[in-house]
Amino acid sequence: MNKYELGIVDTRNIIKTLQDVYNYDFKNYALTFFKRRVEKTIINHNLKDADGFIRKIELEKEFFEVFLQEICVENTEAFRDPSLWRLLKEEIFPQTIKGSTSFKIWFPEVSSGDELFSAAIVLKKLNLLDKVQLIASSISELDIEKTKQGIFDPKKTEVNDANFKRVFSDENLPDFYKIDGDKARWDTSLIENTKFIKQNIIFDDYPKGIKLVLFRNQMIYYNQILQERFIKIIYSSLVPGGHFIIGNNEKIDYWNSEKDFSLINKDESIYKKKLS
Amino acid sequence: MYKAVVIGGSAGSFQVITRILSSLPKNFPLPVLLSLHRLKHVRSGFVEALSIKSTIPIVEPYDKETIKPGKGYLAPANYHMYIELNKRIALSAEEPVNHSRPSIDLTFETAAQAYRNKLVGIILSGANRDGAYGLKKLKQTGGLAIVQDPNECQVKTMTEASLKLTTVDHIFTTDQIIKFLQKIK
Repeated sequence: MNKYELGIVDTRNIIKTLQDVYNYDFKNYALTFFKRRVEKTIINHNLKDADGFIRKIELEKEFFEVFLQEICVENTEAFRDPSLWRLLKEEIFPQTIKGSTSFKIWFPEVSSGDELFSAAIVLKKLNLLDKVQLIASSISELDIEKTKQGIFDPKKTEVNDANFKRVFSDENLPDFYKIDGDKARWDTSLIENTKFIKQNIIFDDYPKGIKLVLFRNQMIYYNQILQERFIKIIYSSLVPGGHFIIGNNEKIDYWNSEKDFSLINKDESIYKKKLS
Repeated sequence: MYKAVVIGGSAGSFQVITRILSSLPKNFPLPVLLSLHRLKHVRSGFVEALSIKSTIPIVEPYDKETIKPGKGYLAPANYHMYIELNKRIALSAEEPVNHSRPSIDLTFETAAQAYRNKLVGIILSGANRDGAYGLKKLKQTGGLAIVQDPNECQVKTMTEASLKLTTVDHIFTTDQIIKFLQKIK
């Protein structure tokens, strides 16, 4: 097996370089995860070792962008956890959007776009897409470009289609994408009104007045310090009563967090911002 | 002297795992980390089934949950399960390794870094090569490597791949694995 193993000192040096050269602070990413992404990048780009990685990242801004895309892990599939999407389709979207003016949904790290397109498709089928403002941010410029073009890995189509059938029994997902050689593309008219934001790593310019945040399986790549910092940002972005959905094995669990959020659905990890 | 046990296998080793978990002393002193191949879209049922006969509590951990002795941690469906150096669980939805998510290799490799020579690793019956590399890393960092006797396995791919890659400490039948674990103080 082709493997390269990064030592702890090398990892620290890489984190320091990224901080010094680009002012991006990765020290509060989960260590095992961060190491693995760097190791993968070193192997994929034939960089030999940590020094090779550091030299290239210092010299090439483009390579830094490639690394940021590597750090923003692809969503595994569209409609991951169909039970959540059924709940959004049958209860949460219809109940919260109808009658509401300016309903904003925020995807703080859109990465490969699967969550964004899943939400847009459900909203479209409910005839609610033109009643919402979708906002997608990412620290990766390359991911934003890729998502805008609707490009996804055709290997995912089988599981995407199967998930979709679990959400909308008997209906076909393929109406919403096309396979084009080795590329698959979502119908980008779904996101023509989506607002994209390139975030810097500290998210100091986040959207406000949000009614629903979908941020599943992204904070798992942070340590607890960074998780708490993000949850506080999301708290500030949400209106009172707004929903916050995280991955089904994630938890909001910092000191006194129960005064900020109530857990309204344990199986799907859905929280609601308290009315203060 | 040991601080943790890590076990890898596939859904086919369910009966062996149930036997092991039902034979542990109630006050078993170590955490048991379980990375088992399973259907990725079936979220519930597995941990409940394992819990029925287990003498120790089994959970599908939350991300960043602190690992405690005398408790079993089952990698949740469609996530990798890493062990951080500070002895917490970290979940990951990164790409599959050896077509597997959870990947046994990744749990073993990160557990080996966290527990070094205080780790017992056990590879059970399974249908692909996942786990072999992880067991090698575990052995390299001083852990104790155990492989289920392939003659006892319905599917030998996983155990044979492990034996090919690593000189293990023990090749044990299920009964021998149970006896070994029962002696851990």
